[in-house]
Amino acid sequence: MGLEPSSIFVIVPCYNEAVVIRQTAEKLLQKKYSVVVVDDASRDNSRSALLGLPVYYIRHSCNLGQGAAIRTGIELALKKSAAFLVTFDADGQHDADDIEKMIECLRNKKADIVFGSRFVPGAATNAPLFRKLVLKTARFINYLASSILLSDANNGLRAMTSTAALKMKITENRSSHNAQVQNLVHQHKLKYVECPVNISYSDYSKKKGVRNISSIRILYDLILYKIFR
Amino acid sequence: MVPIQIVLISAVVFLAFYMYLRLRSSLLDAVMIFLFCGAAVFFILFPDTTTEIAQWLGVKRGLNLVFYSITVFFFFLILKLYARLRKLENKFTEMVRENSLKKEEELSDKKA
Repeated sequence: MGLEPSSIFVIVPCYNEAVVIRQTAEKLLQKKYSVVVVDDASRDNSRSALLGLPVYYIRHSCNLGQGAAIRTGIELALKKSAAFLVTFDADGQHDADDIEKMIECLRNKKADIVFGSRFVPGAATNAPLFRKLVLKTARFINYLASSILLSDANNGLRAMTSTAALKMKITENRSSHNAQVQNLVHQHKLKYVECPVNISYSDYSKKKGVRNISSIRILYDLILYKIFR
Repeated sequence: MVPIQIVLISAVVFLAFYMYLRLRSSLLDAVMIFLFCGAAVFFILFPDTTTEIAQWLGVKRGLNLVFYSITVFFFFLILKLYARLRKLENKFTEMVRENSLKKEEELSDKKA
C-alpha cells in the first residue's frame, strides 16, 4: 500500500474493560498500528492491564462518556500527526483484520470517512434478532437527526483521514455522539462510504456493551442535542 | 384582607428582596423583579381579576389560567436550565480533556 501502518492510529475508548483491553490492544499492535487507549476513568485498573505494551495511554480524571473519550483520542492522535484515524471498541466486538480493508476503502474511493457496517453485503454478524430490530430503528432515527442514512447507525468502527478528524469536534459526550458524527459529516460535506465489517457478539460484549434498553437513553440525549446544538 | 393574602404578600416581598440582593442584579433585572412581584401582589390582593382575564381569553376560571401559564413558564425554565447544564458540561469536559492530554504516557517501558 505504501503506507506506514504506524501512521494509522487506532483509538480505543475504554471504560472498565480490564478483562479484555490487553487482548484487544495486542491484536492491534500485531498489525503494527499505533494504539491510543483512552481510559474514561475506569475503576478496575485498566491501566495495569496494559503495562508493558507500546500503547499511548491517556486517562480522564472522571467519567465523561464514550463520545468524549473518542474526541480526546482523536486530539491526541492528531498531535502525534496521524495520517488515518480509526475508532475501535475495547470489548472485543470489532475485528482488527477489518481495519486494513477500511483504510483501503478510504483511499480507493477518495472518501473522508468510512463507516463500518454489519448490514451491507459481505458483512458477518451473529447479532440477536431483537438487537437487529433495535439497530434498524436507530438507523432511521439517526437519519432524521443527521440527514445521512447509514445501513448500520451505531457501529463504533470507523476510519477517517486526518483532515476529516480535524472536523470531528464531538461535543456529545455519551452515546448520542454516533448521530453527531453523522451530523458533522453532513455539515462539513465529507465524503463517506460504508464498508462491511465483522462484529462478534461474545457473552462478554453482550454483558458489557450497549443494552437494548439504553437506546431509550440514547434517544433522549439525541433529542436534547437537537434542541440545544 | 384575609390571612392568606398577608402570608403570600410577605413571601413575595421577601423573595423579591432576596433575589435582588443575592443575584446583585443589573438595573434591568431589578425592574423585571419589581414588575413581576408587583403583578403577583396585585393578583393576590384582587384575585377576581385573574378570572376576568381568563374569561376574556376563553378560560373558565382564573385559577385554571394561572395553572396553564405556570406550566408553560416552568417548561421554559427547565429548558433554560438544561441549556446551561449542557454548557457547563462542555466546559467541564474541555478541562478534563486538556488535563488528560497533558498527562499522556507510553506504557511500553513500564513493567507489568
